Amino acid sequence: MKRKKKAGPNYNIYGWIFISLAFLLYIIFTIYPAIDSLLLAFQSFEGGKYTFVGLKNFKRMFGDAIFLKSLGNTFLYMVIQVPIMLLFALIIATLLNSKFLKFKGFFRTSVFLPCVTSLVAYSIIFKMLFSLDGLLNQVLIKLGILDAPYQYLQDSTWARAVIIIAMIWRWTGYNVIFYLSAMQNIPKETFEAAKVDGANAVQTFFKITIPQLKPIVLLTTIMSTNGTLQLFDETMNITQGGPANATITVSHYIYNQSFVYAPNFGYASAISYMVVFIMIILAIIQFTVAGKED
Amino acid sequence: MKKKLAVILMSSILAVSSLVGCGNTPASESGTENANTSAAEANTSSDAKTITVWAWVDNFNVAVMKEAAEVYKKTNPDANINVDVVSLSKEDVYVKLQTALAGGGSGLPDIVLLEDYVSGKYLNTFPGSFADLTDSFDYSQFLDFKVDAVTVDGKTYAVPFDTGATALYYREDILEQAGYKEEDMQDLTWDEFIEIGKDVTEKTGTPMIVEIANNKTTLVRAMMQSCGLWYYDQNGDINITNNEALKAAFETILKMKEAGILYEAESTEGRAAALNNGQVASVVNAPWFISSIKQAEDQSGLWRAVRIPRFSNISSSVNASNVGGSSWYVLESSANKDEAIKFLQGVWQGNTDFYDTILLNQGAMGSYIPAYSTAAYDAEDEFFGGEKINALFAEILPDVVPVNFGGYVAEANDAITTALADLFAGKTDVDGALAEADAQLRNQLGR
Repeated sequence: MKRKKKAGPNYNIYGWIFISLAFLLYIIFTIYPAIDSLLLAFQSFEGGKYTFVGLKNFKRMFGDAIFLKSLGNTFLYMVIQVPIMLLFALIIATLLNSKFLKFKGFFRTSVFLPCVTSLVAYSIIFKMLFSLDGLLNQVLIKLGILDAPYQYLQDSTWARAVIIIAMIWRWTGYNVIFYLSAMQNIPKETFEAAKVDGANAVQTFFKITIPQLKPIVLLTTIMSTNGTLQLFDETMNITQGGPANATITVSHYIYNQSFVYAPNFGYASAISYMVVFIMIILAIIQFTVAGKED
Repeated sequence: MKKKLAVILMSSILAVSSLVGCGNTPASESGTENANTSAAEANTSSDAKTITVWAWVDNFNVAVMKEAAEVYKKTNPDANINVDVVSLSKEDVYVKLQTALAGGGSGLPDIVLLEDYVSGKYLNTFPGSFADLTDSFDYSQFLDFKVDAVTVDGKTYAVPFDTGATALYYREDILEQAGYKEEDMQDLTWDEFIEIGKDVTEKTGTPMIVEIANNKTTLVRAMMQSCGLWYYDQNGDINITNNEALKAAFETILKMKEAGILYEAESTEGRAAALNNGQVASVVNAPWFISSIKQAEDQSGLWRAVRIPRFSNISSSVNASNVGGSSWYVLESSANKDEAIKFLQGVWQGNTDFYDTILLNQGAMGSYIPAYSTAAYDAEDEFFGGEKINALFAEILPDVVPVNFGGYVAEANDAITTALADLFAGKTDVDGALAEADAQLRNQLGR
């Protein structure tokens, strides 16, 4: 991040010119909306015009059962899905990084492939897999495990499980790439030294690989946490937030407040800023926890 | 060097595509329609005004409005307007309209189709955004409950279009296997319907009635309005915990589930598939649902339509109800407001031939009363065993009791769906479910 100050007289001007176009777009499409929605969070839209209502939108959140439920759901996804996914990603990355593996390119592509599928498309495929006449029901019936097809998406526990399974499928490969590139940057000498000292594969993994991956683990944890807090496409397409709001996420609720129900952009913005606030808190916690171990 | 070039190329593509992406969406969406109309309009002069209409469902609302444009062109050859009907999904119409109105009104169409369920929401949330049509139409010629739905404080803001007059569509062949004849299905009560349903399901193995698992509100709304009650009372106040019709609806649907006669489809597509594959014997829905049933051409002649059942224990309950319907609105901000109103007047008021055409071609049943006595209503439908299906709806409509939709129907439907899911999962009883729905709706509306 820090730039050397004495990099030539015109360095800064050219630098600014080069980034100006991108920065202009960034101002128009990111900074301006962010500030405007912050102002919106303190307003309410009633009778065709915005009125300033102070902290009313923020106070409303704490008594809003659906908001609290959506927040609970989002945390549930995060607490279950993020660790499982990151563990899978670590294991797969280690396997892909091992010396004896052949066709590495093929496996790497296969693992990353889910990440290039559209969120809506893969959501619909998962919905189909778990539907009444979907693959899972048909296989279980053919095997004699089930007598009649089961409505997974109408059962609150199963519906959540489907969302989590879908997300693990979609995002594991994405994290694998981060771990893989980080692993390839670990100096080989450390592994050789461990080998000389008689460490086995498991010991090497936990004592050599993981500690040296820590910055990346932190990065992926924060990214996954943020991603989960913004979860929308999956619940919108797989369950529509049902049954009985069992799978609704905060983003989905923001969408409902803005576009499905009578427009309440002020309240929706307030919820968005609450999510931002939660993300910042979580990131601080993750940094402190990771920092202490040094 | 090559790498740098690639980076510059990529970033410029990104920049350009993001710029293009934000401005041109409406044009590209209406592109096909423009192409169609511009070919037909080539001979009209260049100062022709274009009236843009937003609607959903190609073979229904959109087709009807395109037909209206054709009719208007024939009857008013010197009007010099083009009508551009833009086909969007219903959700997109709402999202785009809501965003444009909240954002100050740019990018709006001249005419928009809205469901009567949302009319209160748009008219109250965006006052002054829709043209007051009170003096532009003779509303005594339109169905009362349709006009009521688009009237706020004595001012009427829309031209009523179709109705959701509710019928019970059933498979005559399946019921006959269980020993029931057509006369056994007339003017039932829900209790009688459930008894027949049990018998049919037991004897034929086919569940009696279908509803969507995570949204059973079609049935709920049909049952509720048959008693002249709604989620809101006449003053617009929430009416859930003491709503005897809603309570009866919850109890009846739960009874259907417990009796094993309810087939819970996963989605609207799943519902259509279940019906078309003969997996279920009946469905309660509106006239527009006929097109879904008719997808199964091999079932021609096997279907019948009758009035829906009523509640025996509620005296106000009748064998008639309504589940939706929409109306045409003119935007106040439209530059072509007067032309748009003239266009609607020219076609939707007085032209019974037009109503006949859309009834026969699209199955669209308008709200214009003089149109109900035309020959089109005597047409026999082979798919329904030669039944005069349009005459049935014309007969049901006058019995539909108007209710105050209250504008916040989406919120209420969500609250009811949540409560019903908990009721079905055995987490609560009927009164508990009603209390839960009431609490969720109050929380949502901040009351």
